[in-house]
Amino acid sequence: MEITISAIESTTIVVVEGSVDSFTANQLAEAFDDVIKGGCTRLIADLGAVDYTSSAGLRSLLITLKDARKLGGDLRLAAMRPAVQRVMSLSGFTGIFNIYDDVPAALASYNAG
Amino acid sequence: MTEKSSALPGITLVIGSGSVKCAAVLGVAKVLAEAGIGIDRVVGCSAGAIFAGLIAQRPDLDQARDATINLWTKELTSKRDNKALLSAMAPKLMGFNAGSFGLRSDKLVNQRLRHVYGDLRIEDMPVPLHITATDFSNGELVEITRGPVWKAIRASIAIPFAFSPFEIEGRQLVDGFVSDPLPISVAIKNGARVIVAIGFESPLQERITSAGRFAFQLSSLLSNNLLRARFAFNSVAHHSEVITIVPEFSQRIRLFDTAKMPYIIEAGAEAAREQIDYLRRLLASEQGAASAGSQVRSVA
Repeated sequence: MEITISAIESTTIVVVEGSVDSFTANQLAEAFDDVIKGGCTRLIADLGAVDYTSSAGLRSLLITLKDARKLGGDLRLAAMRPAVQRVMSLSGFTGIFNIYDDVPAALASYNAG
Repeated sequence: MTEKSSALPGITLVIGSGSVKCAAVLGVAKVLAEAGIGIDRVVGCSAGAIFAGLIAQRPDLDQARDATINLWTKELTSKRDNKALLSAMAPKLMGFNAGSFGLRSDKLVNQRLRHVYGDLRIEDMPVPLHITATDFSNGELVEITRGPVWKAIRASIAIPFAFSPFEIEGRQLVDGFVSDPLPISVAIKNGARVIVAIGFESPLQERITSAGRFAFQLSSLLSNNLLRARFAFNSVAHHSEVITIVPEFSQRIRLFDTAKMPYIIEAGAEAAREQIDYLRRLLASEQGAASAGSQVRSVA
């Protein structure tokens, strides 16, 4: 899994590439944790290049979501592929995450509110 | 079919409800077998129980497919139970017995299940088998781990309104999907580490033109919401890994589309192939962790 982090104004965009699974979930959670500890809680996960997420991946996203919201921020998901979308939907996670078609839409949602 | 050809640990396979779509698990089992990944335990719910009962026998996959094609046909629900219908319409006059209420006769389904599974008992299966149903008196998920396979499956597929509840060990049982459409919790409770779960959302009605379709629509909505809630909880609660296999169907699959079974099985195989490399790496790492643990124990 590859992670690339960039910032636009006060929002951090984490671009994830590959699978979020048992081997990589901690790496992703730690990357988000570092961003949150650095003071940014407006987060976007760009999942456009993620081909799969297992339960371990779901747990890492949930941990980040809770940490960000606890501090008044959010983790918003963008550009999910159908395979990831299916697992997110089946797990009911689509009901608790704010999800957008692409990164600009996720960015716009922060700017709108 | 599910013999391990390598020293990799096996997985627990959980097959949720999903009518004929559950046949996709035969494709999943084929891909697992080709990769040398064994199935240590199998859990089945509703139509998934039909396939769990077959996979637990380690059958030839073509035979398993043919057995289901012969078992699962439209005739299963074609014969009305007129007495049940009358008792629903005029309960005071006819008397209403919840334990035997089902709008379709279950004679044929019982006959076919007995034919396919014969005298097989759950406790004698080569692969440990768990079939789930729901206690009609309190909604509890019931894990059936002994007794005749056909009876457990009959209880697990007691579709509300269609088939009557089925009594096992003094409990009136209805379809497993009523308590959990994808019973991953049973695998977790039995100590599974790596769980491969294959599940489906219930299809929604294209047009609601009868009370029956109205009831099916409501049932699908409730079941899909329950599936998501339980799946989310189990995913978060499990200490290890749940790998979900959700085959993608470009064709609409109806309740009794057994003619589409080859297509459904291939969709299952395709979805499993996408996960197989990861699964092998994961099992290898589990094996490494287990042997490190045993070394520590032996030193201690």
